[in-house]
Amino acid sequence: MLYREAGQYKTGYTADMAVFPIAQDRAGIAIILAAVVLLPIVANDFMLQAVMIPFLVFALAAIGLNLLTGYTGLLSLGTGGFMGVGAYACYKLTTFFPEVNIVIWILVSGLFAAGVGVIFGLPSLRIKGFYLMVATLASQFFLQWCFNRVQWLYNYNASGAIEVPERYLFGWALTGARATPTVRYYVVLTIVVALTWIASNLVHGRIGRSWMAVRDMDIAAELMGIRLLPTKLLAFAVSSFYCGVAGALMVFLWYATGAEYNVFDINQSFYILSMIIIGGLGSVLGAFFGAALIYILPIALGFAVPALLAPFGLHIGADTLEHVRLIIIGALIIFFLIVEPHGLARLWQIGKHKLRMWPFPY
Amino acid sequence: MTNERERRQSNDIILAVEDVTLSFGGVRAITGVSFDIRKGEIRAIIGPNGAGKTSMLNVINGFYFPEEGRITFRGQTRQRMRPHVAASQGIARTFQNVALFKGMTTLDNIMVGRTLKMHKGLFWQIWRHGPALAEEVEHRKVAEEIIDFLEIQHIRKTPVGRLPYGLQKRVELGRALAMEPDLLLLDEPMAGMNLEEKEDMSRFIVDVNNQYGTTIALIEHDIGVVMDLSDRIVVLEYGRKIADGKPEVVKSDQRVIDAYLGVAH
Ligand SMILES: Nc1ncnc2c1ncn2[C@@H]1O[C@H](COP(=O)(O)OP(=O)(O)OP(=O)(O)O)[C@@H](O)[C@H]1O
Ligand SMILES: [Mg+2]
Repeated sequence: MLYREAGQYKTGYTADMAVFPIAQDRAGIAIILAAVVLLPIVANDFMLQAVMIPFLVFALAAIGLNLLTGYTGLLSLGTGGFMGVGAYACYKLTTFFPEVNIVIWILVSGLFAAGVGVIFGLPSLRIKGFYLMVATLASQFFLQWCFNRVQWLYNYNASGAIEVPERYLFGWALTGARATPTVRYYVVLTIVVALTWIASNLVHGRIGRSWMAVRDMDIAAELMGIRLLPTKLLAFAVSSFYCGVAGALMVFLWYATGAEYNVFDINQSFYILSMIIIGGLGSVLGAFFGAALIYILPIALGFAVPALLAPFGLHIGADTLEHVRLIIIGALIIFFLIVEPHGLARLWQIGKHKLRMWPFPY
Repeated sequence: MTNERERRQSNDIILAVEDVTLSFGGVRAITGVSFDIRKGEIRAIIGPNGAGKTSMLNVINGFYFPEEGRITFRGQTRQRMRPHVAASQGIARTFQNVALFKGMTTLDNIMVGRTLKMHKGLFWQIWRHGPALAEEVEHRKVAEEIIDFLEIQHIRKTPVGRLPYGLQKRVELGRALAMEPDLLLLDEPMAGMNLEEKEDMSRFIVDVNNQYGTTIALIEHDIGVVMDLSDRIVVLEYGRKIADGKPEVVKSDQRVIDAYLGVAH
């Protein structure tokens, strides 16, 4: 009886079109925001560094891929590559122009990724589905090769890797060995919340509808006056922007000291793809569910399973645990692909709907 | 009702099709067909299965390029055109096999029909609040009018993939109406419907024609409906035009009776 829209009369279309039309949803969002903002008070460094920062970074990349694959229906295996473009662009920019604030470069590097995304998105006018996936796979391998072989990209470092220099924000160390997880967490959180809000705005307006129209029935979309190529390229651009920013955040604010080219390999692409499949194709919220399940669940299992087995005198090795993790994730992907292609986000919606009707079944 | 329509109709020709020929590989779908559509009329295109009716609509709105012939729409003559250009010039259509955006709600499908009339770009969409939202509200009002007109308020927020076929056809009409077209092409809007649904759909078509003055090209197999609704009829058979004129004239044409009306359905 608590979760109802009863009594909340919508005063106009503006209210009805709000992203969260129900007051309890808005309250929920406010509580979550307050919780994540206050989190560093109670959380230790491990919680921030190893759980929350990566979770937010992955969620951002998953939103990016979801805009392209879930909303526009263009299957991509180039996510890792586009993330890498963001990371390497950010590295080049901040070493060329160290005086400009790193946060600005992180966002600008997203634009470089967007540009690269548009170029690799060009074939999408002619090819669809499986063939487009192969084309994005080719872009993934090409970019990966560049990160490895084009020494200019990592400033000819002997290590062959990005070495993150020390950068500051309002006097606090933000990157490099001296940056604390708390400072990095707040910057990542701010960027991810802002970009999530923007993604949600886009998908709820004309542009989002055009993307979904192209996904669901491209010939009819064309007939409504939607031009396919610009619409698909915009999806590639915005998606790659998100992935690029996520890549830059990953190297500069999560790893914080450096990263090798193989961080952005094909496995990263599959990893993000599995997040949106489990979280929910075509849902911004689903990206967070997916990132939580794929990234945080295994960590939680790593603590919970040995703790549960310990009283029985059983021990489980780290590699066994890793296998268990892979089995669980594989099973989940198969389950969602077959049973609920709209993922956890859909289950969440159904749950909310049930709650709205509760205690009446209909 | 017919009188009312005749009063509003002019002799202005909104669309003229001249000597259009179209083939797929070796198969001729349309051979040298010419006809015209007057502003404000309901023009039926009939003919047996495979006669080339759908292909003709596809030529008119730019899905297919005819090998020969010309299309003149509102005074502009062309041989080929892209579908989105046809859309921007005021041609909308529905499909023989419903072509809705299945994952989107009824409301969103209709809102997509407003795309060409919405102009706030990426910059404004990013913030949503402000000009983009004002535009959204303005077009939402139009969408709601269409929803009221078609009596589909109860399915406003339902993903169309879950709707029964008859309602899907109705939503598809709504989506086309949202474009406020000058010429509306309807490809078998009543196929697979029961009597009641057909009556509703007929009423909507007549009302659209009367209230908004929209010119309509209608493909339909139900001869009763066609005779009732249309001002003039083109009859195609094996890709050729075999008759053209007012319903009474076409009805008594011997070639039409042989080719079409005679065969049982
Ligand atoms: N894309 C295509 N490729 C090849 N042949 C086609 C294609 N579209 C239509 N045809 C052929 O062109 C001819 C006309 O088809 P069309 O769909 O226009 O007929 P129709 O009058 O709409 O028939 P129906 O009443 O069954 O809808 C048919 O012989 C059909 O097989
Ligand atoms: Mg047909």
